[in-house]
Amino acid sequence: MRQGPTNVLLAVLLSLAATPAAAQAPALSRTSDGKPNLQGVWQVLNTAAWDIQDHAARLGVPAGQSVVVGNEIPYTPAALAKKRQNFENRATADPETKGYLPGVPRIMYMPYPFQIFQTPGQIVMVFEYDRGIRNIYTNGTQHPRGPLNWWLGDSRGRWEGDTLVVDVTYFTDETWLDRAGNFHSDALHLVERFTPSGPDHITYEVTVEDSNVFTRPWQMRMVLYRRKEPNVRVLEYDPGRLLDEAGAQRDK
Amino acid sequence: MLLRHSGFALALAIALGAHLAAQNAAAPRPAPPPVGGCPPVPAAFHTCALEKAKTFTPPRTRSGKPDLQGFWRGRLSQSFSVEGVRGNEPLVGSDVMPWEIAPPMVVDPPDGRIPYQPWAVPIGRIGVNYSQYLDPRTACGSGGVPRLALQDANQILQPDGDAFIVWLHEDHHVQRMIAMDGRPALGTAIKVTNGDSRGRWDGNTLVIDSNNFSGYNWFDDSGNFYTDNVHIVERLTMIDRDTIHYEVRVEDPKVYTRPWTLVWAQVREKEQGFELLEEACREGQRDLGELMRDGIKFYFDPPWRGR
Repeated sequence: MRQGPTNVLLAVLLSLAATPAAAQAPALSRTSDGKPNLQGVWQVLNTAAWDIQDHAARLGVPAGQSVVVGNEIPYTPAALAKKRQNFENRATADPETKGYLPGVPRIMYMPYPFQIFQTPGQIVMVFEYDRGIRNIYTNGTQHPRGPLNWWLGDSRGRWEGDTLVVDVTYFTDETWLDRAGNFHSDALHLVERFTPSGPDHITYEVTVEDSNVFTRPWQMRMVLYRRKEPNVRVLEYDPGRLLDEAGAQRDK
Repeated sequence: MLLRHSGFALALAIALGAHLAAQNAAAPRPAPPPVGGCPPVPAAFHTCALEKAKTFTPPRTRSGKPDLQGFWRGRLSQSFSVEGVRGNEPLVGSDVMPWEIAPPMVVDPPDGRIPYQPWAVPIGRIGVNYSQYLDPRTACGSGGVPRLALQDANQILQPDGDAFIVWLHEDHHVQRMIAMDGRPALGTAIKVTNGDSRGRWDGNTLVIDSNNFSGYNWFDDSGNFYTDNVHIVERLTMIDRDTIHYEVRVEDPKVYTRPWTLVWAQVREKEQGFELLEEACREGQRDLGELMRDGIKFYFDPPWRGR
């Protein structure tokens, strides 16, 4: 085609019209094996650690909007009664008050930073809270033979496009889902989905399944925010040791 | 924790021989094998390993760094005392958990003893710490640096981008994140059980420089200790594909008369499908209450901790 001025103008206009807005966003940072690079320090900005559903403020607890999709947790009638009892006794009954590991997914939405490290076969999440470590194996291995009861479960992940999908199982029944008494049994099974929505945000969704407690699977969804301060570090908050120390001081 | 006799410790071996022969009339144990082709005693291993390192080219990561990744276990190390365990140590005859005779992991000073200042001598070295205080590791604290690398399996990861090296330890679920990006040190008011670590490559050696320790740790079961003022520099050098020379330089002018050095090895764990598993210590512990009732104190108070 002759490169007259009209043709050039037409070509430019057509190419602009054909470019969708999304393609203007910066490309996702990728690791050397082509996967989305989730590495860095992340933290939630919600109140799910206190209560995963809609809640007004309580003394010491900020008001918050639900991270539960639809705001409804489909408890069996017996489990709902247990949840209410948990709520009444939460100040002492919540295992997290003893400085125990808070379980999954609760450790993901404790209000402390965590850091993600990636190698092709293993993603490691290191939590400031209680020295938590999650090893998510992306090397094609399966869950080990059970039965096993771990506080942070066993995690096996794979990529579906740009989403990291993690299957988590083998839990104890000794963790709660929040400080409001929401709980599970050792039949808890999770499927997590980590989808970057931009360079500094990950949409974190988790499907919760536990036939001993819930009548059907249900979901939580929240945003993980990248901590952007220069040289930001995951430090240490070891509640068990701090409790021991406070006790030792009291008993002096 | 392995019994060690070697040519290097010949005099010690002779002295022990009579004691052991009296104690154990069974067949003598075979000599332990070399580690990485070097004598299986820390001081001799140290000299031999550094020599081997001069001519060994380690495998490289995709990004061209020495590849230390994989699962490792401490070797030439025992958890009883970094100063070694002599034949006349009474705990060798313990009914509950007999200590094993072993050479020191302290290689400098050459006498194998931690160069404590006089005030610190009765506190470490099976002294006040050991008899009066709860071992921080028993209280489900982290074993700390460098004790973590003495016991249980560990894993080194070199994640994408080389900004960090991650060192995971199965013992009480502990992690160390070593910043490799040249960032500044943390402010001195921030203290962390395993310290704040910044690393760099010195040829094929990973050098880890750590400060900001909380001081809430011992070197070993004997109660050898440091304060929150300690500065620790570790050097990890592969001497063959399955052996790392692990050197720890300890400096704390509040406790010791001079800096001193520990050496042992990390040997590759090659079991197929090996993974570090969860070890939830605090969640499972049942004995702390009883220990408290027996009069053992938590290791929070002593003046050798800044807090």
